[in-house]
Amino acid sequence: MLTKKGKYGLKALVHLAQLPAGQLAFVNDIATGNNIPKKFLDAILGELRNAGFVQSRKGKDGGYRLARPADEIKVGHVVRVLDGPLAPIPCASRTQYQRCEDCNEATCQVRHLMLEVRQAIAEVLDQRSLAEMRDIVIDDLLVARDIDDLAAASGIDAPSVLVKIPA
Amino acid sequence: MTGRANSIIIVGGGASGVVLAAHLLKSPNPDLRVTLIEKRPHFGQGIAYSTLLSAHVLNVSAAGMSAYADDPGNFWRWLLERGLATPEQAPVYAPRSVYARYLGELLDDLEVREQATGRLRLIREESLSITPTASGVEVALANGTSVVAHLAVLATGHDEEPAQGHAIRMGSEADTALPPDSRVTVLGTGLSMVDAFLSLEQRGHRGDIIAVSRRGLLPSPHRKGNPIKLDVADIPLGTQLSYFVGWFRDLIRENQKAGIDWRDVVDGLRPFNQKIWQNWPSSAKRRFVEHTKAWWDIHRHRMAPEVYARVTEAVQSGRIRLVAGRVVGITAADGFTVEVQSRRTQRLEAFDVARIYDCSGIVRDISTSSNSVVRSLVDRGLARPDPLRIGLDVSANCEIIAGDGTASAKILAVGPLTRGTFFEIDAIPDIRVQCARLSKRLLG
Repeated sequence: MLTKKGKYGLKALVHLAQLPAGQLAFVNDIATGNNIPKKFLDAILGELRNAGFVQSRKGKDGGYRLARPADEIKVGHVVRVLDGPLAPIPCASRTQYQRCEDCNEATCQVRHLMLEVRQAIAEVLDQRSLAEMRDIVIDDLLVARDIDDLAAASGIDAPSVLVKIPA
Repeated sequence: MTGRANSIIIVGGGASGVVLAAHLLKSPNPDLRVTLIEKRPHFGQGIAYSTLLSAHVLNVSAAGMSAYADDPGNFWRWLLERGLATPEQAPVYAPRSVYARYLGELLDDLEVREQATGRLRLIREESLSITPTASGVEVALANGTSVVAHLAVLATGHDEEPAQGHAIRMGSEADTALPPDSRVTVLGTGLSMVDAFLSLEQRGHRGDIIAVSRRGLLPSPHRKGNPIKLDVADIPLGTQLSYFVGWFRDLIRENQKAGIDWRDVVDGLRPFNQKIWQNWPSSAKRRFVEHTKAWWDIHRHRMAPEVYARVTEAVQSGRIRLVAGRVVGITAADGFTVEVQSRRTQRLEAFDVARIYDCSGIVRDISTSSNSVVRSLVDRGLARPDPLRIGLDVSANCEIIAGDGTASAKILAVGPLTRGTFFEIDAIPDIRVQCARLSKRLLG
């Protein structure tokens, strides 16, 4: 499940990926440009730095930049660092497994399907790089919105691989 | 290449070459032609399996040593059928000579089966070079003839590099008889040092063995276990090395708290090792090879419990002395004086020894390879070393990458040569999977 933290982290990285290679961005600019609370962003960038996705420079001219080319960083790499193992539901994770209090997992069809969803999530996120995400053009976004609108009009949920569940 | 790559030359008839031939010949294609070229008199041995010493056992239990990716029990059944093991003995660490016999018989069976079809041809000769032609490849042999095919696969395995300086290789011509009580130095403390110790014991050698490596680490023993189940969704990919190592240490700690042996965690990661390696930035790969690999290796590449018992007994009795340090000087006189600087104290210590054995591992800069086929490919720009120079640069499809960065559709490689791309590709369990995939891609 993609939390707010994961989403903010990806937005911040896309922001950095849009800059010319090597150029630093101020945390304030990233925060205001993407509607991310500044304190939260500081924490997120710290984790991304520990994992080796961004580099920082301190001081008046300090800021953040990508530690490597945007086409080498896969979206799945980032999501695992910020949100932990990819899993649509906690009972579908091996290392961060949590049993559901309210069901018998041996017979739980929901969990069974969610294991399949986990594979699909990994497949999508590990194939797509930050560069690809950055280069998604607005036309695609409009198409995506149309799909959402269509789904909303017909009264069913929009098709979405990443089910958003609040942290 | 689909549909047209009917004739394939495999350069190197050691374990990787035989395993690849076996997978290719599973194809029903009647037009397939597989030519296996080996310079040694026997196929299926290479360096790894040519030892005749029964104490030199496999470092992987029989259950993991089948030549076929889709039939993991093949070797184990072969052992049982010949009365070389009994079911209650498992896990069995068979002598490597027995494994060579298994591969030899497997190839004999294929030869008999394919006699009428003409699909398999064995050539006992040294290969000198591979040259791409308009329609395929030409492999020049040491006897002055050449063989042509649509494509060639390099399966030359571990290079047999000459030992450096005053050191010699165990079992080489220079390895003459020694006075039984003489003291010797072994450069290296890994599995090759263990092999050397076993060889010395077999010869009745009783003198002390000073084993020196940068960290002085001895590989761990196997223990019967049950690898934990992991999923790719759990594993942090593409991070910096320190982050990954932190995650892995925590995972081991958590599992140990639950009473699970660290081996089961290390082995549980195995199915993902290639993926982890391929997703790392090059800086993480370099750091791993430089700083972490020695630690990883002693936990990941373990030895049979019986062998470990013999080695640790020798260490405890003082017969083997493990020294963590760097050899800073060797003076030859009547024998040798080996000067070692301790890793911990930086102090120098000198050892007078009768002989120095080089067991310092098999990874050397590939562009200086003693293998003429590999060297000539690199010299002509048809191949290049991988960024870490631990093997040849190949694509994820095993295609050799030329000096200008283009992947060749005609010259491919399998096995240890491809470790820059595949990382753990030294052992049969990994090589057979690589060969199965390549066969499927080439022949469908």
